[in-house]
Amino acid sequence: MSTEVLRTKPRRSRLHRREHQVALAFIAIPLIGFLLFTLYPLLYSVYASFTSWNGLAAPTFNGIDNYIKMWNDPYFLKAMWNTLFMMIGIPIGLVLSMALALGLNRKMRGTTFFRTVYYIPVISSIAAIAILWQWAYNGDFGLVNQVLDLVGIQGPNWLADKDTVKPALIIMATWKGLGYSMLLYLAALQSVPRYLYEAASLDGAGTWDQFRNITLPMVRPVTFFLVVTSIIGGSQIFIEINIMTPLGGPEFSSASIVWYIWRQAFNNLHMGYASAMSIVLGLIIFVITVIQFRLNRRNQFSID
Amino acid sequence: MKRSRFIAASVAMIATTGLLLSGCSAGAADTGEKQLTFMFRGGEDEKAAYTTAIKAFEKANDVNVKIIVTTADDYSTKLKAAIAGKQIPDVFYIGPGDVQAYVNNGVILDITDYVENSDTLDLDNIWDYGVDSYRFDGSLVGQGAIYALPKDVGPFSFGYNKTMFEAAGIPLPDPDVPLTLQEFVDISKQLTVDLDGDGELDQWGTGLNVQWSLQSFAWSNGAEFLNKDRTKVTVDTPEFAEALQWFADLSNVEHITPSTAQAQTLDTYQRWMSGQIAFFPVGPWDVSTYADLDFDYDLIPYPAGSTGESATWTGTLGIAVGSTTKYPELSEKLVEYLSADATAQQTLVDAGVQIPNLKDTADTWVADSTTQPANKQEFLDIVNGYGRALPANNTYNAEWYDELFTNIQPVLDGTQTAADYLKEAQPKMQAFLDDANAQAGIG
Repeated sequence: MSTEVLRTKPRRSRLHRREHQVALAFIAIPLIGFLLFTLYPLLYSVYASFTSWNGLAAPTFNGIDNYIKMWNDPYFLKAMWNTLFMMIGIPIGLVLSMALALGLNRKMRGTTFFRTVYYIPVISSIAAIAILWQWAYNGDFGLVNQVLDLVGIQGPNWLADKDTVKPALIIMATWKGLGYSMLLYLAALQSVPRYLYEAASLDGAGTWDQFRNITLPMVRPVTFFLVVTSIIGGSQIFIEINIMTPLGGPEFSSASIVWYIWRQAFNNLHMGYASAMSIVLGLIIFVITVIQFRLNRRNQFSID
Repeated sequence: MKRSRFIAASVAMIATTGLLLSGCSAGAADTGEKQLTFMFRGGEDEKAAYTTAIKAFEKANDVNVKIIVTTADDYSTKLKAAIAGKQIPDVFYIGPGDVQAYVNNGVILDITDYVENSDTLDLDNIWDYGVDSYRFDGSLVGQGAIYALPKDVGPFSFGYNKTMFEAAGIPLPDPDVPLTLQEFVDISKQLTVDLDGDGELDQWGTGLNVQWSLQSFAWSNGAEFLNKDRTKVTVDTPEFAEALQWFADLSNVEHITPSTAQAQTLDTYQRWMSGQIAFFPVGPWDVSTYADLDFDYDLIPYPAGSTGESATWTGTLGIAVGSTTKYPELSEKLVEYLSADATAQQTLVDAGVQIPNLKDTADTWVADSTTQPANKQEFLDIVNGYGRALPANNTYNAEWYDELFTNIQPVLDGTQTAADYLKEAQPKMQAFLDDANAQAGIG
């Protein structure tokens, strides 16, 4: 009866209304922030992508010229290809971090120590790491080649050779991301119910069968999350490229798409063109992410 | 009543957001006191030197100068973002390469009147090169109205390891007569040796970075990057090819640099500093670092190609006034102060980061025999005489110039001839230059 009354009467108590209003005011902050700092720039860059704009004066409308230019720009295509190529590191990183997580999930002395060690690169500044690796990759007396020298291999000049610069960057990025993926996998591994393994071993399933049929499916949400975020992050790789190969590497072989966009916008005064490339990149990331979510939906399952 | 409270709360929230916003922008806070923003880039040393210098300016002019300092890498991005956001700083650094674009788009003020009528500024006492780099007559940079004063000039000189020459019993190079390219190679060969007899080289003639050294050899060989009116890329000439080929051959044929394909700056810079390299470039910004070297070094002119004349470039950075400033005169005064005040200059010169902007201060500095290098006069000779602007400094953007170095590696590795490469590169560079000139409204 009383609930009935409340429902028919939209009137609320004074206190309720006041709280409601204050709440709205609080919500206004992130909302205004979103409108000003996310939505407006986004819409503006869509507009800018249809203009000839140097970033200094007012933009002038030039239709789809920027999009046509992009299609005929060998450097744009090369930067796209480089970015795609460097994503080879993602599956490698996933396998390695899974292996590490399995290793560190055991009850052993020193696991806490190693978990910390692998996590250090994650919290370090990417700029500092890029500079360190730049030294390590130095062809003349870098750490990497000195180690290779111990086993009798003459190492290449990693960052100055168009065949080795991408692998060099992939190795570094994988190493840097390892701790993060490992930590998520560790958490996922520890939430797999023990009774599943007990039941499986009663049924005579070996270690490999248990891993394939229990562990992997149970950590799939983490794998999904990591794949989606790594692809988004991977398509935006910039800082390490800019520090380690300031001119985009020998023969443009390490220029990433975000690096190229940045260069066009801020060095070459082609802000409109850079906006168009950003829009295309954004759309590509969006489409890939939607496809991933679609694919993942089929794989959803639950245990009761 | 309720409603008003709601509005009050919302306004408060919006005001907070607004404050956050204005926090990012330059000079929004208007407290009644005059405020200028000065945006520049530099390391800790420079920041400290400028902070001290600016304190004196604030006191003398009853003004508050807000300093915005970034790292060298971030500077261009942050400045251009500020300009795009209509938050142009009152006073800021610009490179000569930006003059054209900034003037055409109304970003910086013409300061000719102020500079020419100032009682405190003597233009004749500042390097012509430094002032001329910021002149623009609407079509060519280098002449016309003045848009900035030099923060500094950076003559890119050439040095040699004196101690190494003495140890090897090789006569020291003449500080006034440039070596020929052949003499340079011959001496370098004598100095590329295995000192400890372990079968591996541990001392080399030289080790140069193509991006910063090619200009010298190309120019002194009679080659040019551009024609006079900056409408045509001229790297596809025999003189240019000869210079680039000679440069690549230093590694691939003459073997007087640390092993092939390893001419990264970092390598040879470190090796030079540890005394393993005979000839190496020296910029004024290196002088404070080189003071700690374990060997003696000195400056000589760059080895000269077919013209017999040495050539090199002089870098520079300028200080300009933003077009939206509320206090143009005060801003111009700050520019003048930073560029040409004797005390402020002395602070910067003492910090060892630049050569003096003022000719009279420079003369005292050259005469000081207690500091290295002994032949400091070479720096001044470059600024006053044979130093030139980097090729992209006077064009609308540097895309055409960067293109030259993007695909150059095969030439340095010896897998492509310089002539072939330059023939391929010229049309691509030309296309970028045409595009830039079209944007600048010339050509």
